[in-house]
Amino acid sequence: MHLFPRVGRGGLLRAAAAVVALALAGGACRENPRAASAQELAEGPWSTLVAQARGTTVIWRMWRGDPAINAYVDKWVAPRMQEQFGVEVQAVDSQGPEMVNTLVTEREARGGTAGTTSLLWINGETFAQLQQEHLLAGPWTMRLPNAALVDAASPIITRDFEQDPTGYESPWGMVQFALIYDVERTPNPPTTIPALAAWIRAHPGRFTHDQSFTGLTFLKGLMYGLGGGVERFQHGFDEARYVQGRDALFSWLQSVRPYFWREGTTYPPDVAAMHRLFANGEIDFTMSNNQNEVVTKVRQGILPPTSRAVLLDEGTIANAHYVGVPFNAPNPAGAMVLANFLLSPEAQLEKQRGEVWGDGTVLNVPALPEPWPARFADVATDAAALPYDVLAAHARPEVHPQYHTHLLDDWRRVMRADAR
Amino acid sequence: MTRRNVAPLAAVLLIASPVIVGVAYTILAALGLRGAGASELTVRHVAAALGGWDTWRGVGWTLATAAVATAVAAAAAFTVALRVQQSPLGRLLAVLPLAVPHVAAALAALLLLSQSGWVSRLTHAAGLTPTPADFPALVYDRFGVSLVLAFAWKEFAYLVLTAVAVLGTLDRASDEVARTLGASARQVFWRITWPQLWRGTSPAVIAAFAFLIGQYEMPALLAPSTPTALPLLIYERSVDPNLLRRGEAYVVALLALTLCAGLIAAHGIWRRRLPGVTR
Repeated sequence: MHLFPRVGRGGLLRAAAAVVALALAGGACRENPRAASAQELAEGPWSTLVAQARGTTVIWRMWRGDPAINAYVDKWVAPRMQEQFGVEVQAVDSQGPEMVNTLVTEREARGGTAGTTSLLWINGETFAQLQQEHLLAGPWTMRLPNAALVDAASPIITRDFEQDPTGYESPWGMVQFALIYDVERTPNPPTTIPALAAWIRAHPGRFTHDQSFTGLTFLKGLMYGLGGGVERFQHGFDEARYVQGRDALFSWLQSVRPYFWREGTTYPPDVAAMHRLFANGEIDFTMSNNQNEVVTKVRQGILPPTSRAVLLDEGTIANAHYVGVPFNAPNPAGAMVLANFLLSPEAQLEKQRGEVWGDGTVLNVPALPEPWPARFADVATDAAALPYDVLAAHARPEVHPQYHTHLLDDWRRVMRADAR
Repeated sequence: MTRRNVAPLAAVLLIASPVIVGVAYTILAALGLRGAGASELTVRHVAAALGGWDTWRGVGWTLATAAVATAVAAAAAFTVALRVQQSPLGRLLAVLPLAVPHVAAALAALLLLSQSGWVSRLTHAAGLTPTPADFPALVYDRFGVSLVLAFAWKEFAYLVLTAVAVLGTLDRASDEVARTLGASARQVFWRITWPQLWRGTSPAVIAAFAFLIGQYEMPALLAPSTPTALPLLIYERSVDPNLLRRGEAYVVALLALTLCAGLIAAHGIWRRRLPGVTR
């Protein structure tokens, strides 16, 4: 008994080649899909679009790593979308960089036919990549009735890593980077970059950063501070200025790295690992891209109750996050109704509550009709939450995504790789 | 090709087609013709991935951790299999880890072996380690201690299962002949049982080793950032913020595939040379 049928090698190879050719034939036609559909919808009346969306399902690709965010989407947004608009919302897990790969594969495999996903949660370099690959539908966002409520004066919202999101992504929330410490362990946390360096040297093995998005935002914020302020890095990518900023950052890191957790020979994979190390007392600082994460994570019991957030005086990075509609969305009408609902004052207020998610609003709150301004003011301020004016005074915008790309690459190549 | 052979050939191709298509796509993407950031035929990704020190460091580290883990698992599995082959309860206990998913085993290793894990807390309670940092770094560590242990624990069960099955098929008559001719128990084991056991289990051992080279979840939870294990490197490149570097993921994936294929081929050649082994 032979496992393989006895055929000439040529026969097997020919048959294998035929299978490959068949499978790739689908991807061979790279004609432009119905990119206009969200755009076409945006031209019609809003009521038609809402009627069209009734009875449909929206598949929404988003990062599903935080139970608080998942609960807001699944238990608060989804039932209201069903109740008010007859739209079923299904959130599925996918991070930004993976979404790009998925959409490219869908385009290669299915040419002009509809894809799987109608809404994407994105920002920054993912938005840049999606635009670079022409994977987003638009323009459509100005069609949303609630777009008029957005804080159009905020440079953080109107510029996504210096890119103009106009029409191709609709703002959803705004966050700001903060360090998290335990007031019991560290009664006087450092508030400047030099003070942080001094603290790290005085407490060997008690500080580190992760090697994912949050860690990189921390490094980028340090690069602004050590490289002469965010202004030097604004208005597009500049190689010479980048190299200067990077070198300043790396020499700072070289000087403190021997005092990092595990002497800087290894770094936690992501911010979840950072929180775990912090909560277990292995390190004294964790960090978050959301200034309010300390509030939600304390309520979830993940961080100790005495955890607090602190900002460095040199400033910390604030950015907005958005939703976009992919070029091959099967249900752009439903996606647009959902994007509009996400911008409604009630959805934005709920999202901002510390016990829900603590994600900052993108609406121009003072300009909202009564009683909304008062309600936003009432969002209970937690002992661990940073006051709004302090946050605003420290906020620094994101710069061109190429700074992000280059810094990650160089950090991995230089700082991570030459760990002794 | 005769008509009689068409049906089995079609069946084999049907089963293999996802792999064939996947490998074909991977080759095209490695050459810059498919995937995010693809534009034109280029060897840039190949040159960048194969010219990168981190790739080869990852290859060496991944091969070393997989080899040590497989060796530990095989040694433990053979020792246990020889003792539990007559005991149904013993066999059941030995194969229990099979039911635990790899990611759960990795989480368990994290909970037990990290510097703030249960073992560290026990040594702290016993007064041996005053702070978490005094407990040896076994997670995210340079030598991948917790990773090797988690790998070995999972593969151990699989190899016990195989070894018990092989031992059950052995012809015991030659043992008795050897004993009557005056061989000691040790001689019987090394001269008669071991060659047959190894011959029967070596494909499973090679399969375990090849599997560990591509295992993602366990290194993702337990491995250090440097050197970067191959599966982590592949993932890192596949989601690189620089679209132009994503093609490198496919090159590293092909490299891992080549390593496994080479290993399996070498094993096949070695087996073919064994006396009395039929293909």
